[in-house]
Amino acid sequence: MKLDELALDALTEIFNHGVGQAANSLSELAGEEVRLSVPRVEELAKRSIVDQMDKRGANRICAVRQGYTGAISTEALLMFPFEQSLQLVQMMVGDDVPLEQLSEMEQESLAEIGNILLNAVLSSVADMLQIELEGSLPQVELGLSSTVLCPSGDFDSTILSLQINFEIASRQIQGYLVFLLDLASSELLEKKLAAFIGALP
Amino acid sequence: MNGATSSPDQPAQSMPMWLEWMLSNVQTGLLLLDAQEHIAFANKWVLKRAAMRIEDIQGQALLSVFPVLAGSHFERALRTSIRSGFPSLLSQTLHPSPFPLYADDVQRDCKKALRQSIQILPMGPKDAAQAGQRFTLVQISDVTPNVLREGLLKAHAEKLSDMALIDGLTGVGNRRAFDESLVAEVRAAGRTGKPLGLVMLDIDYFKQFNDHYGHPAGDSCLRTIASLLRRICRRPRDLVARYGGEEMVLVLPETDLNGAVRVAAEILQSVRDLALPHAMSLAGPVVSLSAGVSAFDPVAPLTGAQLLQGADDALYAAKRNGRNRLYVVDSARQEIVPG
Repeated sequence: MKLDELALDALTEIFNHGVGQAANSLSELAGEEVRLSVPRVEELAKRSIVDQMDKRGANRICAVRQGYTGAISTEALLMFPFEQSLQLVQMMVGDDVPLEQLSEMEQESLAEIGNILLNAVLSSVADMLQIELEGSLPQVELGLSSTVLCPSGDFDSTILSLQINFEIASRQIQGYLVFLLDLASSELLEKKLAAFIGALP
Repeated sequence: MNGATSSPDQPAQSMPMWLEWMLSNVQTGLLLLDAQEHIAFANKWVLKRAAMRIEDIQGQALLSVFPVLAGSHFERALRTSIRSGFPSLLSQTLHPSPFPLYADDVQRDCKKALRQSIQILPMGPKDAAQAGQRFTLVQISDVTPNVLREGLLKAHAEKLSDMALIDGLTGVGNRRAFDESLVAEVRAAGRTGKPLGLVMLDIDYFKQFNDHYGHPAGDSCLRTIASLLRRICRRPRDLVARYGGEEMVLVLPETDLNGAVRVAAEILQSVRDLALPHAMSLAGPVVSLSAGVSAFDPVAPLTGAQLLQGADDALYAAKRNGRNRLYVVDSARQEIVPG
């Protein structure tokens, strides 16, 4: 898949619409304003995401994974450096989470937060590009960024990646949302994006 | 399902006996909603814990059966899932007990709401098309035991981490607690531009006290003085720690040199007032302390090590000049003077 500027812009708009919805839900959940933004959408090799994480000193990450099937089949992964995932849960839950490990129950709350965000983004994709999708329940994974992202070692395959910034009570968390798409899905996504752009006034 | 009389597409209508048996015995809550959010089915697990009968709730609107759900996050998540067709979940940590479900045990009198972990699973587009509408399965798990277990583990972990920072004999902070506190408070003082006081205290002729009265009496003397220090330094961020042997140290955030001197003077006087006999002291007939005081001045910041060195030098001066007194680092004149 090679998306041009126009297509990436359209995707950025679609994703921002989705994270806007998610921000509303998360704000209600947190009881204070949660702001989300997607500064950029890129097509990258998996390796460069792993490198970006490593550069931030975060080779251990925490990820929420959900699969979507239908005309397009994709795995969506919301990833945070491990430390930041703890902070995110702390901000959402309140301050009494000790800062070393996520317990089973805290992992579940991270799954809920990820689920809200991923579903909102994918709903936006499904609605705006008119693609019918079914989703799975979220799964939390902890581990090295390379093993979570590239379980079969395919570092060179390209993925669609969004940086997502969370801002809660003036604290900031940075995560990545990536979509693993197979070839057929990539092609359909390209087609749907072209149709979406063509239909713009 | 027992003699349900609702519309013909009620799923219970044509249910084989074994399926009905299985749904009645599965140890998790199952609630099926139709596209209008009416209850199409609830299994025995839910009915028992909600103290409801199927004939009373089948075909009823979910929110009229469970009015507490109106306006809840559950309602929001349900609407979103039904609209998008994507499953969602509600975690116990963020929503402890959305449904009014109670433990079915012998202690019926104390009704404890079950801690719930909830999954909302709407039918996908294909199944919904086949069923004629989008049904949604709400699956409720009782995670009360998990919550209790995590609570115990957390309490245990907190106790261990407290123990690692507390001096076993006196119950005040240990050397590690002091080291951590000094680093953190010096940083905080630098950031906020507020002063920070440091007081080092030493029990006069404590070795002679131990030799004369015995170590158990020495231990008891240390404990008495530690609890007196804690009584005087009672602001939440004040730290009292045992620095070593018979030396104690106080970290006093948002306290300037004069404030720290006042605290030290009050401590020295209070210890004399305890009137613990000390026959071997050359400083007086009772147990007394020597003190060295230094302070972090935001105008001329020091490192933690410099602050500590200053208090230690002042303590040494107090001891050299007769004990049972306090000396102060006057940073403006760069000298150590009686306080």
